[in-house]
Amino acid sequence: MPLASDTVREITALRVRYPQPRSAILPCLWAVQNELGYLSAEGMEEVAAILDLAPSEVQAVSTFYSMYFAQPAGDHQLLICVNVSCALRGADAIVDHVQSRLGCPSGGTTGDGKFTWESTIECLGACGGAPAMQVNHHFHENLTPDRVDGLLERLRAEPRPSHANGQSVGHVAEALTVKAPSSGPHPPSAETPPAPNAEGPPADTGVSDPAFPAPELPLGEHTEMPGSRSKRSYTKRGSRSAPRKRPRPNAGDL
Amino acid sequence: MAADTTPPAAPEDGLVGITIDGRTARVAKGTLVTDASAILGIHIPVYCAHPKMDPVAVCRMCLVHVEKMPKLQPACATPVSEGMVVSTERADVAKTREGVLEFLLLNHPLDCPVCDRGGECDLQDFAFRYGPQASRFPITEKVHFNKAVPLSDRIELDQERCILCWRCTRYYDEITGEKELVLQERGVHTLVNTFEGKPLTSAFQGNLPEICPVGALTNRKYRFKARPWDLQRTKGVCPTCSYGCNINIDSRDFEIKRFASRDNPLVDDMWLCDRGRDSGPSWNNVERIRRPVLRDATGSREVSVSEAVAAAARSLREVRERHGPSSIAVLGSAENTNEEIWLLQRLARTALETPHLDHQLEAFPDIGPEEHALGIAEIEQCAAVIVLGDEPEREAPVLTLRLFKAQTKRGVAIRRVVAQATRSLVGELPAEGLIGLIADETNREHATALAGELSRSHQVRRMTVTRGVNGRGAKDLGMLPNSGPGYTAVDQAGKAGRHILEASAAGLITGLVVMGGSVWSASVTPLLERVAAALEVLVVIDTRPGPLSRAATVLIPGHAIFEKGGTVTNMEGRVQRVRPALPPATQTPSETRILSALAAELGAAGWPGDHLLINRELVTAVPAYARAGNGGRALFEAAVRA
Repeated sequence: MPLASDTVREITALRVRYPQPRSAILPCLWAVQNELGYLSAEGMEEVAAILDLAPSEVQAVSTFYSMYFAQPAGDHQLLICVNVSCALRGADAIVDHVQSRLGCPSGGTTGDGKFTWESTIECLGACGGAPAMQVNHHFHENLTPDRVDGLLERLRAEPRPSHANGQSVGHVAEALTVKAPSSGPHPPSAETPPAPNAEGPPADTGVSDPAFPAPELPLGEHTEMPGSRSKRSYTKRGSRSAPRKRPRPNAGDL
Repeated sequence: MAADTTPPAAPEDGLVGITIDGRTARVAKGTLVTDASAILGIHIPVYCAHPKMDPVAVCRMCLVHVEKMPKLQPACATPVSEGMVVSTERADVAKTREGVLEFLLLNHPLDCPVCDRGGECDLQDFAFRYGPQASRFPITEKVHFNKAVPLSDRIELDQERCILCWRCTRYYDEITGEKELVLQERGVHTLVNTFEGKPLTSAFQGNLPEICPVGALTNRKYRFKARPWDLQRTKGVCPTCSYGCNINIDSRDFEIKRFASRDNPLVDDMWLCDRGRDSGPSWNNVERIRRPVLRDATGSREVSVSEAVAAAARSLREVRERHGPSSIAVLGSAENTNEEIWLLQRLARTALETPHLDHQLEAFPDIGPEEHALGIAEIEQCAAVIVLGDEPEREAPVLTLRLFKAQTKRGVAIRRVVAQATRSLVGELPAEGLIGLIADETNREHATALAGELSRSHQVRRMTVTRGVNGRGAKDLGMLPNSGPGYTAVDQAGKAGRHILEASAAGLITGLVVMGGSVWSASVTPLLERVAAALEVLVVIDTRPGPLSRAATVLIPGHAIFEKGGTVTNMEGRVQRVRPALPPATQTPSETRILSALAAELGAAGWPGDHLLINRELVTAVPAYARAGNGGRALFEAAVRA
């Protein structure tokens, strides 16, 4: 099945952004995975043809990285971090819990095709909110078995996320840093774990959690080039209104 | 720049001085420490480094101590600099080697007794010489991978044995450019694989097991056929085409087990094509002619070789007396050695006195040595090389690798155009420098025309891919109706191969001597049937049965190319020795001795029968062959038109 014309256009545009077409393999593969949900052989062949490379070279790169899927994945993709910080904060229990809830081993897909989950991935860089997992490019931190249950329940009702399709390349990185604009001047930040006896429903501190009222950011459309540091992209992301410093806890609170 | 390290008496010779383990040498700038150590006779173990590929320094086996450098350096990727002092004998180097080997052997299976590579395996050898002898890692904890994964019908991969040296992937990247094999996955899971596990399609897969330093890549056609220490190794020349790749013929129990490459940088650059590599073992199953046979109207009977030679001489003399000398023709083949060709053309010209002799079917009018002026290694010195059609590379596949090397490593512009390309189709050419023009023998007339056109504006040198292992030698030594030895003029031009056969079928030629005709006879079988019916005398000296040998009035067995000594000339004129690797499949003497005996029976006594004596006679008559010696190129000054 040939790739969609949008994806092909994107790959063609990516090719000229690098001195060597080889360098464009990674973002091109993201474009393919965003369209198909995984990297099909035909997709890799098409990338190779556009970049004027051998298909084997493209596959060599794709297999090196664990976040590219070689098989069609479920609607929702769960990556549970088991590196040092998360492991110290009980990631193993989360992994066991997810495995028993979903009923398939790490790397597998549930029978109903809803979930693909994996625990062997490298550090997600969310050590401050350990244990953490990434769901469809969104972080969920400070996980407990209960929260995982709630999350799975919510995801089960949701269709395959639409942003997986047509999402521009490079915005995965943005997705990891984007702050919800509605979260106000003092949002629950990833660095501040909620108080143990906090009132109200246990809210994930994930930055673009679907539970937030306005998280449906068409990721990528409101930013410039990945890694751009222009003022416009900052303000549009809402970073200006985010706190510059972590609130210092009062001595009395401790 | 005179650094403090420069010894005061460093001569201004453009070389750099290096000391390795107390021995000093002056080597060319840019020489790698591994190569310098080889010059000094000091062994540095390597796995990833390969003389034909760029260094990558991934295996870490070659780490050595270099004075004033804080850490051990990979010798395979460190160029020599003036005053460099290298030590390979220090304790830290030895300890590092032990560590690297222990690491490489972590998950390596201990299946050397059933591994094809056992006995010629670098991992075995270095582990024995430099290794720690024991592992701290329990054997039960090895990580296992798939064994005997077929990569194609020729190559099998044992993923457990792979030490990830990248040689095979670099081979496909740098040498063939096909990029079929890559490293997939990461860390301990890394494995060599093709895209989606598709089978290899390259025409040069047989080189993979040879460059693999361990037993990971093995040749399926050689798998479990022999152990290296049982093999008898003979230097030879690949008999499949006219490229003249140097090979080692590995035999055992009177059978060829494999053809292995033998590096000659001027010819094959150590790479063989699969067609050539597979041709060796296929000889083991070929049907052979084993006994001399006389055949007449009453039937056929086996005779001794002297009886057969006498009968051949007698019947040829009768034909000459009855119909005259030009009713006899002599046909050789491109598989005869130079010494056989020499005697055969001499037999035709002086003993039988016929002008009708050839070694192939096609006529080659106006043949001259300028068609073979370009040498194989000279391709790399050209500014541009034009290849006419795909026939040259189909006939001599290793040429493709030389062209790729010239293109990628020397910046030569390679123009592949259609066989009948005109000057305008070739396009713009570099104004300066040599232009190479490569054509197949069947396309030589067009190549001559194009070369003439190009030479008005450029310096052009031609290469013509000849057919058969010694097609070039047969032409050089005058096994042609229109050209004598060394492209000298002949008094009377005779009939070319196909015309000889047609004249025989028409009854104009009544006596025919054929040596090695099974090479070209398959393409003209219907014609040969008419020839056989019309001829009075058909003397056949051949190795394999065919339409000619079945009709021969005198049949004498021949020796295959690896059962006899002699020389063959490749398409660029390189004269190379062939040596007997196996005892002959017949008890009759070699062709040269049969030809000299036949000449003696015909009244020309005293011809040498030994190939070395014939060679001495040959090089006296053809000075270009004297200058070529063994392994050099026979270069002829100019053509003398017939």
